[in-house]
Amino acid sequence: MNARTLGEDLRAAARRTPERDAVVCRDRTLSYGELDRLADGFAAGLGELGVGRGDRVAIVLPNGVETAIAIYGALRAGAAFSPLNATVKPEKLAHVLADSGAAAVVCDATRSDVVRSAVSMVGDVSVITDVSQAIREPGRTVAPVSVDLASVIYTSGSTGEPKGVTLTHANMTFAADSIIEYLGMQESDTILCALPLSFDYGLYQLLMSMRVGATLVLETGFAFPGRIVQLLESRQVTGFPAVPTLFQVLLGLRGLADRQFPTLRFLTNTAAVLPAPTIEAIRKTFPNARLFSMYGLTECKRATYLPPEQLDVRPTSVGVPIPGTEAWIEDEEQNVLGPGEVGELMIRGAHVMQGYWNDPALTAQRLRPGRWAWERVLATGDLFRADEEGYLYFVGRRDDLIKSGGEKVVPREIEDVLHAAPGVREAAVVGAVDGLLGQAVHAHVALEPDAEVDEAALRIYCGQRLEDFKVPRRVFVHDELPRTNNGKIDKKLLAGFDPRVEVVGTD
Amino acid sequence: MSEGNGVRIDMRDYIEENFLYLYPGIALKDEDDFLTLGIVDSLGFVELVGEVQSRYGIPVEDIEITEENFGSIAAIERYVERKRTAA
Repeated sequence: MNARTLGEDLRAAARRTPERDAVVCRDRTLSYGELDRLADGFAAGLGELGVGRGDRVAIVLPNGVETAIAIYGALRAGAAFSPLNATVKPEKLAHVLADSGAAAVVCDATRSDVVRSAVSMVGDVSVITDVSQAIREPGRTVAPVSVDLASVIYTSGSTGEPKGVTLTHANMTFAADSIIEYLGMQESDTILCALPLSFDYGLYQLLMSMRVGATLVLETGFAFPGRIVQLLESRQVTGFPAVPTLFQVLLGLRGLADRQFPTLRFLTNTAAVLPAPTIEAIRKTFPNARLFSMYGLTECKRATYLPPEQLDVRPTSVGVPIPGTEAWIEDEEQNVLGPGEVGELMIRGAHVMQGYWNDPALTAQRLRPGRWAWERVLATGDLFRADEEGYLYFVGRRDDLIKSGGEKVVPREIEDVLHAAPGVREAAVVGAVDGLLGQAVHAHVALEPDAEVDEAALRIYCGQRLEDFKVPRRVFVHDELPRTNNGKIDKKLLAGFDPRVEVVGTD
Repeated sequence: MSEGNGVRIDMRDYIEENFLYLYPGIALKDEDDFLTLGIVDSLGFVELVGEVQSRYGIPVEDIEITEENFGSIAAIERYVERKRTAA
């Protein structure tokens, strides 16, 4: 019997294998028994602050064992958690705290200034700056049921303001079980996760590992790929989730091709399709590992996966709906389209979110009436086509969203920041093709007549207001931004802008 | 040894020019950890390792890209010295 809530699965694993390593990060290891007790202890600590069933708890932490304690502690307290990027800036965090009505925010000493500054803008939010100091003697908590809210995950909306994707325990356990099924994840697995737990792809590595009783090895990002290679070998890792950028960084390393990774049995990729040469290099380097190409969005966690044996047949496909779900392609009049026709991908299943927190208008745009009176299906906002056998292919976004290094970036959010910068008259942010990132965030600006800002100053300005991955890698200053015939800024032209060829904004 | 100081100065210049200018508030010391301070991100390290390879002609092996070798200005200096001695 699969556990119905995210706290129960950890409890069950702790009963089965209390001594097995649950979460490992650097020199810290928590067994299932320890994590189970610490989660109860943290739930008690939250309870002491008045946090209980139905409350929201924001978590601003880099990958670490404390993050796991905070997440499961919040769930054990009956609360829902909101995982946030560890480089979040005060204004953004304040927005999330106010929007979610968070009762508490959990961080560490490094982030306490940012968090306190955000809390000062919002008011009544308890702050925990050290997870280990907030552990109390476990008391009685009221366990949530499967229809209770488990998480509000903030993701960039098309307007740039982050939107809270609301997910129940039932949504998340369903998605986790479906993915566990097609990956064939099991208790004996050891998963290495270098993706941030604030990113749902990273978060689910934790949730799925705890569900099957596997060991999760956490690394804080992939700045030091040497660490990742060492961990793959020394921890005898069996599963490794990545994004194209991470694969590219690894495959570019000298000496990697000569290594053997006999235990590694599956690799997963999402965020963007892997180029054919990269697929080939991955297979040569990790010959024992099955490679899964996948596609998803926070609103339903994961939508599709390509069975590895199909990778040679259709390398650019992201596959079929995940087990237990349906997907189809529609035109703008809700007609279901046939093979080869391009339309919006629609998703149906128990993984589909409940809506955006506090935003019924946006929810109505994305959740549409379904087969039954009570049902709503998810409009992904992404354009797809299917082949004759029904395998799905990502065609493009309906909006101008940028995918950079696996992270979603909404141009509007960065443009808003740049427009507020002194001296900037106009700004346009585009995704420029980048070998490593897939797309790199580039900003193009036109300045006020006597403005005294340059690329460095504008990057600093953005760096003080945006998460690191949103800060433009380049800022190009033009006399005028190019326009299309109907007067809009020509983003297509800017996306292909090559600074070595002066064709834009000169006369 | 003058060579050692050279690495330290080279690397400080490189880090200041390419990364540090974005963080006007930070006074970087040679032992300060780039990642903890948040001045170099994942892709920044790719560039940094490339710079060390090309500037000093050192073929950097995969498992050498760790904080022990690339985490700070002093770490890079020790790494470069060690590789030069070994070569």
